[in-house]
Amino acid sequence: MTPVASVALVNYIGLSALIFLIGVAGVLTRRNPLIMLMAIELMWNAANLAMLAFARAWLNNAGQVFAFLVITVAAAEAAIALAIVLITFRRTKNVDVDEIASLSG
Amino acid sequence: MLYTIWLLPLLGAVVLWVLGPQLRERGGILGSAAVGLSFFATLTLYRAAGTTPGVHVPLGSWIGGFTFGLMMDPLSLIWVLVITGVGGLIHVYSIGYMAGDRAVARFFAYMNFFVFAMLTLVLSDNFVGLLVGWGLVGLASYFLIGFWFERPSAVAAARKAFVINVVGDVGLMFAVFVLFSHTGSIAYTDVFARVRDLAPPVLLTACIAIFIGCAAKSAQVPLHTWLPDALEGPTPVSALIHAATMVTAGVYLVARCAPLWDSSSAARELVGTIGAVTALAGAILGIAQWDIKRVLAYSTMSQIGYMIMGVGVGAYEAGVLHFFTHAFFKAQLFLAAGLAIHALAGEQDIRNMGGLARRMPFAFWGMLIGTLSICGVPFFAGFYSKDAVIYGELLDGHPWLYVLGVATAGITAYYMFRMLFIAFFGRDRTQTEHHGEPAHASNVPDWVMQVPVAILMVGTIAAGYLDIGGDNSIWSRFLAPDFAGENLLRTGAPQISDMVSSAVVLVAVVLGFGLAYLRYGAPAALTNAPERLDREARTMPPVLTHGYFVDDLIWALFVRPAQALGMAFGRFLDPVLIDGAVRDTSFLAGVLGWITRRLENGLVRAYAVTIVLGVACFVAYYAFAGIPR
Repeated sequence: MTPVASVALVNYIGLSALIFLIGVAGVLTRRNPLIMLMAIELMWNAANLAMLAFARAWLNNAGQVFAFLVITVAAAEAAIALAIVLITFRRTKNVDVDEIASLSG
Repeated sequence: MLYTIWLLPLLGAVVLWVLGPQLRERGGILGSAAVGLSFFATLTLYRAAGTTPGVHVPLGSWIGGFTFGLMMDPLSLIWVLVITGVGGLIHVYSIGYMAGDRAVARFFAYMNFFVFAMLTLVLSDNFVGLLVGWGLVGLASYFLIGFWFERPSAVAAARKAFVINVVGDVGLMFAVFVLFSHTGSIAYTDVFARVRDLAPPVLLTACIAIFIGCAAKSAQVPLHTWLPDALEGPTPVSALIHAATMVTAGVYLVARCAPLWDSSSAARELVGTIGAVTALAGAILGIAQWDIKRVLAYSTMSQIGYMIMGVGVGAYEAGVLHFFTHAFFKAQLFLAAGLAIHALAGEQDIRNMGGLARRMPFAFWGMLIGTLSICGVPFFAGFYSKDAVIYGELLDGHPWLYVLGVATAGITAYYMFRMLFIAFFGRDRTQTEHHGEPAHASNVPDWVMQVPVAILMVGTIAAGYLDIGGDNSIWSRFLAPDFAGENLLRTGAPQISDMVSSAVVLVAVVLGFGLAYLRYGAPAALTNAPERLDREARTMPPVLTHGYFVDDLIWALFVRPAQALGMAFGRFLDPVLIDGAVRDTSFLAGVLGWITRRLENGLVRAYAVTIVLGVACFVAYYAFAGIPR
């Protein structure tokens, strides 16, 4: 397989970084746990995109494999995190993470 | 067989200790049996141990130079025979003496443990094993002196004995270090083979350090003060430890290290002099005592002074012989005194006795024969050994020590007969109210306590006959393998012969006896004894009743400064250094906790910010420093 450089690597990486920063901003600024989870998903996938881009550019399939792993872990994470959010909501009748601060030192 | 001799008492101690509550009174029989079997096992080795180089059993070895083993040569054999033989008799006697005490089994466990410790000391073939035995003996004596631990005076005496013994242990340990660093071995044979290569200062240092150990264990001036106090223990303990065995460990050590002493004339001078001074000092203090056991304690100190004087100047055979005879007559004196104390329910003050010869003739005869022997009356064991020691001073060229020895012999006769006259003659002054050792209701027959005393009497009379015949006697030939160097030390022919020397000593003894008779034994003195004794007690010079104030001196020189140091540390240094450090540490932890607690605010988004900042730091680092290849 010859390297395919129809789109320059830097563009993929730039997009990946942009998506990642959107995700970070979402986690930092939003107080709804569901939105925060979505932002985290954005960051997972930004990382996936970067790995796939590198894998294509350097002809190394390790990046592809890692992307699969990340998708699997992200699915598991989403399932657990949504369950936690649901239970927390039932207990506290609240969807504001700033109000759920019972672990404060 | 050596293992059997060595470990039987330990086995007895362990069994007695574990099963004590079940055994109770039967513990005495078990304890006596363990020591008795050990004695008979020793007899089977008698012939083998009497030849050169004796019986040797290797136990194991560590790094180079450290080989451990058991050894029995003539010198150890004599000690083992006394430890297990006389010790066994004392065990039997204790069955009667301790009957009715709360903790009979514990008592016999300690006694067996003591015998084991003592056997470790004399059977070891190297300095480290000796040191182990040395320490164990001190521990065992601590247990036994403090046996009646509900009495504060007994606890204080036990502690004092232990502390002074540790002073000696440190000295001995230092000696072992010095010897090992210069000879590269701890085995007796190796060390003694290389004595010739040692520089004189090294040799003298080692000798002095060894002798510090001996002085503490054998109650030599100025480390003697624990011995009189040690009589707080039960009387059989006094007989076993403070007469027959433990206090003679120093004599054993000097005799064992004879090659060292043979090579250092300075060490001989020092040890001989200290022995003579101790002999005289102990005898003079014996004059001023009213407690029957304290009289015997000071006489022990004095007699050990003789032994040390003998082995110190090089008259090893004589010194060891005096140990051998002393073990018999002093054990007998203590046990006979114990008969009287036991019958009087714990009375120890001779002013409150009087006329006991009629009430308890057996105890009286025991005391009388023991006294005749310790004074050196001809045909009793003490005569042969003591004269040999005193004459040995002349043989080895120490006329001044000879004079001290003769003077001590006279004083010995005086204070021993003083005690005998006051306690056993005249009117009965015993009172109904008693104090001291607790009284026991006993159902043990009298013969249990009398038979050991009777057997000891035989030794007290006959033990000296082994030495008849000078250099060709049974005794000299038996010990010859150990003390090959003894005869080389003799400096020319002495000015007077053996017989004349004995006569001189005898004159001193008769003078001492005569003075005691005039003051305490004559009919005129006996008629108004209580008033006379009261007056004597009042006018006794305090320097004698307080033991030359040595205790006060030690108190002022060591105990007080140590206490003051402790107080100073407690008052000034401790609050700042120790307490301060602890308090500051806890304060620091509190501050750190307060700061980090602020970070744990429970806000998920705050944690997220922290993570992002951390990642940003990583990224920034690699951006500037480059990615490592």
